[in-house]
Order: sequence, then structure tokens, then C-alpha cells
Amino acid sequence: MMNFFFTYQSLFDHILVYALLAMSQYVVLRAGVFSLGTAGFAALGAYGAALLITKSGWPPAAAIVAGTLLGTVSSALLALPLSRLRGVFQAVATLALVQIVLSATQNWVSLTNGALGVNGIPKVASTGILLTVVVVVVLLLVAMGRYSVGRAMDVIREDETVAVSLGISVPYYHRIAFIVSGTLAGLGGAPQATSSYAITPNEFGFSMLVAALTMVVLGGRTTVWGALVGAVILTSLPELFRVFADYRNVVQGILLMLVIVYLPRGVADTLLGLLRDRRLRRAAPLAAVVVAPAAAPAKDPVRANFEARAHL
Amino acid sequence: MTATLVLKDVARHFGGVPAVDGVSIEVPAGQITGLIGPNGAGKTTVVNLITGLLHLTSGKVLLDGQDVSREEAPALARAGVARTFQNIRLVPDASVLDNVVAGFHRHEKAGLWANLLGLPSARAEASDLKRRAMELLDRFEMTALADHRAGSLSYGHQRRIEMMRALATKPRLLLLDEPVAGMNDTEAESLAGIFRKVAAEGVAVLLIEHNMRFVMSLCSHLYVLASGRLIAEGEPTAVGRDPKVVEAYLGA
Amino acid sequence: MQQLLNGVVVGSVYSLFALGFTLLFGVNHIMNMAYGSVFMWGAFAGLYTVTALDAPIYVALLVAMVAGGLVSVLLDVFAFRPLRRRNAPEFSAIVSSIGADLVLLTIAQKVSNTAVMRFPFDAFPVVIFNVFGLRVQLLQLVIMGLVVAMVFGLVWYLYRTRFGQHIRCVAYSEQTSRLLGINPGPVNLQVFMISGALAGMAGVLIGLVFNSVHFAMGEPLLMRAFVIIILGGLGSIPGALIAGLAIGIVQTLSVAYVSSGVAEAIVFIALFIVILVRPTGLFGQATAAMRVQRA
Repeated sequence: MMNFFFTYQSLFDHILVYALLAMSQYVVLRAGVFSLGTAGFAALGAYGAALLITKSGWPPAAAIVAGTLLGTVSSALLALPLSRLRGVFQAVATLALVQIVLSATQNWVSLTNGALGVNGIPKVASTGILLTVVVVVVLLLVAMGRYSVGRAMDVIREDETVAVSLGISVPYYHRIAFIVSGTLAGLGGAPQATSSYAITPNEFGFSMLVAALTMVVLGGRTTVWGALVGAVILTSLPELFRVFADYRNVVQGILLMLVIVYLPRGVADTLLGLLRDRRLRRAAPLAAVVVAPAAAPAKDPVRANFEARAHL
Repeated sequence: MTATLVLKDVARHFGGVPAVDGVSIEVPAGQITGLIGPNGAGKTTVVNLITGLLHLTSGKVLLDGQDVSREEAPALARAGVARTFQNIRLVPDASVLDNVVAGFHRHEKAGLWANLLGLPSARAEASDLKRRAMELLDRFEMTALADHRAGSLSYGHQRRIEMMRALATKPRLLLLDEPVAGMNDTEAESLAGIFRKVAAEGVAVLLIEHNMRFVMSLCSHLYVLASGRLIAEGEPTAVGRDPKVVEAYLGA
Repeated sequence: MQQLLNGVVVGSVYSLFALGFTLLFGVNHIMNMAYGSVFMWGAFAGLYTVTALDAPIYVALLVAMVAGGLVSVLLDVFAFRPLRRRNAPEFSAIVSSIGADLVLLTIAQKVSNTAVMRFPFDAFPVVIFNVFGLRVQLLQLVIMGLVVAMVFGLVWYLYRTRFGQHIRCVAYSEQTSRLLGINPGPVNLQVFMISGALAGMAGVLIGLVFNSVHFAMGEPLLMRAFVIIILGGLGSIPGALIAGLAIGIVQTLSVAYVSSGVAEAIVFIALFIVILVRPTGLFGQATAAMRVQRA
């Protein structure tokens, strides 16, 4: 039994870290912010923590916190200008951001050791710690999504004009989403550094960006569960599809295309929707009688009677 | 007493072409004022100008005497200007209740951090908002449908949800953009009853429609818009007989 | 000065690439994230023609254009058309194109064994002129000539033929076009074919200029295309041309005087700043108020 656990422990760690990244991506997409910057902030978190440990001798716990804060601060700085953009522009701007960070890590050799990456990072983030962090984050995000912030984000995402007409300040919520996303990405990046022994610039490039996006597209971008389900699916896929070996990326790409066309709300969200609809239908069969298309009080009693019978 | 909404010589040009020009309107509180005109007359443009979705090219918009011509849409919404949309804009995947609760946004009091962390004050407010939304649903006789997906309901129901959401904002000015389009007479009448009640509570209501009959019984004052200009105004029956109005509708 | 000339040459090819991209955006309003891979596959096709089939370079160019157009149309069929039919939001189109890009990249990687290939040395005659003290390669002249020809061809097509008129109409408003009886289907097909062909040609030209062809050559180019298009204005042809030249010059000068790594960073930082400061670019018309509905 323990053997089984140990074999899959590294996979589990991987899932946990990726869950954080998925949740970072989910937060922005839920608010309708088309940000692809998760990988960039994760890089900042990871390099921040790694460099503080290896070069400045910081204790690992403090370094992880510092890495996360780097994610928070940088996303806060960028949130202001980015909240003025929309849709495609946000996507491209955040993409450029990821590339800028990537360039910096690759070329600022004196600081980051360039393409060789940072090595010798002690493995501090144990499974237990990662699990706790993920659970806490999930709880916080569930809370966030349930109250005013989540409500406002949902309206903004679905229809910005309506949000505006209800008095919701769109840039404000975009900024909140962006900062939370940056923090979570940093929170995912820092443990990534401390749970594998080394990090290289390329880990935080295009592939991570696509991975974060895929997880949320697969699972769903309107609920936290979507992000979690997506993370589990994406990280277990390589194991399941080992047969495809080098063509894993092709599978991932095709999956992305299929899901966005046929299941645009993602696996988890679609399932949750179906479950809710079924629950409603079972709980209120008599509501059908009340739900007459023309619910007008002054109705011909004979006709009302006839319609009521027709529904039963 | 000044009317709740006053438009003075409002104009909107698109690259030199006037969509709306020289429009002066007064919408007093407690009454239903109508803005009618044939299709393409510019009625929705006027609504967009009032709610801040479009900027005025010239003229003034006064809300309870205050000049709000330069205000942005969210500010106007927070000042108590509510509207419904010509094409229904709900969140189709959310429940009826959630759609209505969204309307309470401008009255929310719990702070940002309380909401982010799920503190008791946020939870209390959430259940309070739910209760108030249910009261609205009760008024509109839709309590049984509270948890249904808004997108799965009939057109008539969706219109009512939009109405409830607009009323949730507790507006002082309510702009209804073709609220009964596509409804049969019975449905329209029941909504008309609700409009009357809302006006009776002191709200200034501006009803935009191009269905003359519906508007006749409901409005105390009418403005007629054609090709972006006001061609007539006054008491409904008189306006209905004005030859210019008849020509605008027949010629359109 | 020499570098300036080089910059102009490189920039002109960038313009060509950006032109195809902006055509696509102007008509379909989608950012085709897989456009870089179309470009790359065009280069691959061209290379294959020269190395395996031993054909002359101009044949390779034609093949590249055809290949580019083909890949582009396939992209439309698999990645974009299903979404159009479902009236999906623009977010879906971008995600779908990212997925398609992944597929195209990986296949290319496998096919090329992740190798960096080159056009054979004699693929294009090495003739160098000496004009006012500058070294001008025949290749550079030919490239510029081709680009100019392509641009003129495109402009002629768009503004003087009926098909071109249809394209411009759909770009303005798909709904209105339908009402006027214009079927958007063939228009889309043409647009994808044309933009793909432009990308394919750009692929071979860049492959010749930089003397390298590899599976990831399209990605940095896509980034530059973003800068160019946003700088020059979305959907604006003169904007794409001028901005393309500008970026080509800036890049070549940075590489020559600073370092290639920093040059990359400069391009991205420029993109970031341009988006923030002037998203509508120098020539583009402002997209209708940012508060337009998206669903």
C-alpha cells in the first residue's frame, strides 16, 4: 500500500502544483479577463524563491512566501494598465508578458544562470504542505466565488454591458481577478521550484501557458471545481496516453480544439449544470402546472383548467 | 418640482451624421412617460445616451437637477438609473434568483475582504439579498422558478426576470426599452400593471415602444421620435391624431 | 547604414507576414495563433521542394504558397468553422487556434527531428552588388521586389475585383453582407487561402534570409506580427506595411548593436507598451467602444 503511494507521490505533487496554476488561470477567466499570464507569474514566483534560497541563503519557507509575494506585487503593478484592455488585447499583452519574463530568465545570465537554470534547490515542499496549501486556496476561492465578488465577476464575464448598467465597475473587478491570479501563480511557481530540485527557464514558457489554459478549458472556467478537475485530467493524461509518447502534444492540442467546440463550458461545469437541471426537474414536477407561458392573472378559468390538465 | 430626468437639446452624431438631434424631454417621477416612434427613429440611441453607454455630441442630461451629461455608465447606474434591454440580456446559465440578485449590486455593503474571505458579514448579506430577491419574485409570481436556469425559461418569464433585476437596483429612473416586444396582449397587460405600480411608488418611468396601442393606455405623456428628431409631444390621444405622427408611422 | 538596408529587407518580409495576419483579423475578427505554424509549414514545404525534389527556388516559392494556403484552409475547417457555426465567443477561437498550433508544431517537430535545417547554399545565386558602398545581395533585391509585387497584387485584388469587394464588405459587416446576398463561405475560403499563401512565401524568404528553417521558427514571428499589427492598426494595410518595416529595422539594429537576446526582449517590451498606450495603433480605426457586449 505504501509502495503504491510512493510511486504516485510525485505525480500527486505535480497535480497539486498544477492545480494551483489552474486555479490561477480560472480566476481570471471567470471574471472575463483574458489573461494568459499565469506562466509568467509562476516563473517570477519560482525564480524568486529559488534565487533567494540558493544565492542569498534564505530559509526555504520565507523564500516561498517571498516568491508568492513577487507574484502578487508584479500582478498588482500590471493590473492597473491591463484592466483597461479587453479581450484579444489582454491576451496578447499577457502573452508578451510571459515572453518578457522568459527572455529575462534566459538572458539575464548573471542573475538567473540563463538557460542552465537554477540547481540544487532543497526539496522543501512536501506533499503534506502542498495539499494544505491547495485546500486552503480552494476554500478561499469558493468563498470568493460565492459572494459579491464572484457574482460581479459572473455578470462581467457573461455580458459586460449589463454589468456596467448595474453599476458594476468592470476595471475594478478585472484588477482583483488579475491580482488574485498573479498571487496564485506565484504560489504555484514557488513550490514548483522547491519540489523539483532545479528549474529552467523553458519550464515557464509556452508549454506551461498552454497547460494552464488547457486545464481550465477542459475542466471549466466558472467554478473552482472546473480548475481542479482540469488539473487532474491534464496531469494524468500523459500517464494514460503513454502510448502516444512524443505525440502527447498533438493529443493535447486536439483535445483543446475538441473541448472548446463541443464542450465549451468544460467537463466539470457541464456536469454540474446537468446535475442541477436534473435536481430541479425532480424537485418540482408540479411547477410545470404553474409555469404557463402566459402567466397572467386575468385568465379565462376554463382555459387555465385545460392547460393545467395538459401539463400533468 | 423639476422632473427626475431632463434632456436638453441632446444630440448624437456619428461621424457627421446625426443619429439623434435636438431632443428635449422631461420624465417626471411617479408617471410613465412614453417615447415612441417608428423603427430606426433613434429611440435606443436616446436610451444609450441617457445611460451613459454613448457619449453626447451636444446637449445636456439632468438627473434630479444635476448635470450628468459627462458621467460614465457605471456611475449613472449607481446614481439610480436602471434599464432593461431590447434583446434580453440575462446570464442564461445562472438561476433566476442569481440573475435578480445581481441587481442588488449597488446596494451591497459588506466590504471587499469580507467577501473574499467569506466572513459572517458577507454571508449575512448574501442571505439577506436572497430574501429580498425572493420578495421580488413573489411580486412577479415566479417564486417556484427561483432555482431554474434563466436560459431555459419562456420569453415572457425572461422579460420578467430582466424587470426584476432592474427593479432590484431600486432606481429613481427606469428606462424600459421595448419591454413587451413579441408578447401577446394578455402578457403585455400584466406587465403594464407592474409598470403602473412601479410608477406609483415614485419612480420616473420612460417607456420606449413602437406599439402605439400599448402605450396609449399606459402613458401620461408622449414624445414621438422620427429620424432622430422629436416631431410631436403631448397627451396620448392628441398625439395619436397628429397628422405628422400618422405620416411618420405610415411612411416609415 | 548597411544594417538599415538589412533591416528594411527583413522588415518587408515581416510586413508580408503581418499583412496576411491582419487580413484574417480584419475579415474574421480572430487572432489566429496558429499563423506562425502556417508560415513554418510553408518554409518546410519550400525546403523540401528544393532538397528532395531538387527544384529551383522559384518553384519552391510557389509550392510554399500553395502549402501555406492549404494548411491555412485546413486550419479554418478544423479549428474555426465549427466555432463560427456555433456562434462561439472570440475566446473560443483563440483557444482553438492555440490547440491547432500545438498540433502543427508537434508534427513538424517530429517530421524534422527537431533539427535546424538550411536551404542549400546554391539554392539562390549568391550575387552581390556594390551600391554606394553598401553590399546589396541579389537575394535582398528579389525579396523586396517580391514583397512589393505581392502587396500590389493584394491591393489590386481587394480594390479592383469583385471578389475583393466582397471580402471588404464582409470585413465591414458580415450581417450586412449576407443581406446583400454575399455568401460569406467563399469569402472566408479566399481569405484563409490568401493569408496562408502570404505566410508560406514569407516562410521561404525568411528561411533564406536567416539561413535557418526549424519547427519553431514561426513563434517569434507571430509575436512580431502582433507588434506590427497593433502598432500599425488592426485591419490596416498601410499600417501593417509601415510598422513591419519599422520593426524589421529596429530588430536588425538591436541585434547588430546589442545582442540577439536583448533584441527579443525589446520586441516584446515594445509590444507590451504599444498595447497599453495605443491599442488602436497609428492607422487603425478604433474598435467600437470597449464596452461592447461579447457574448
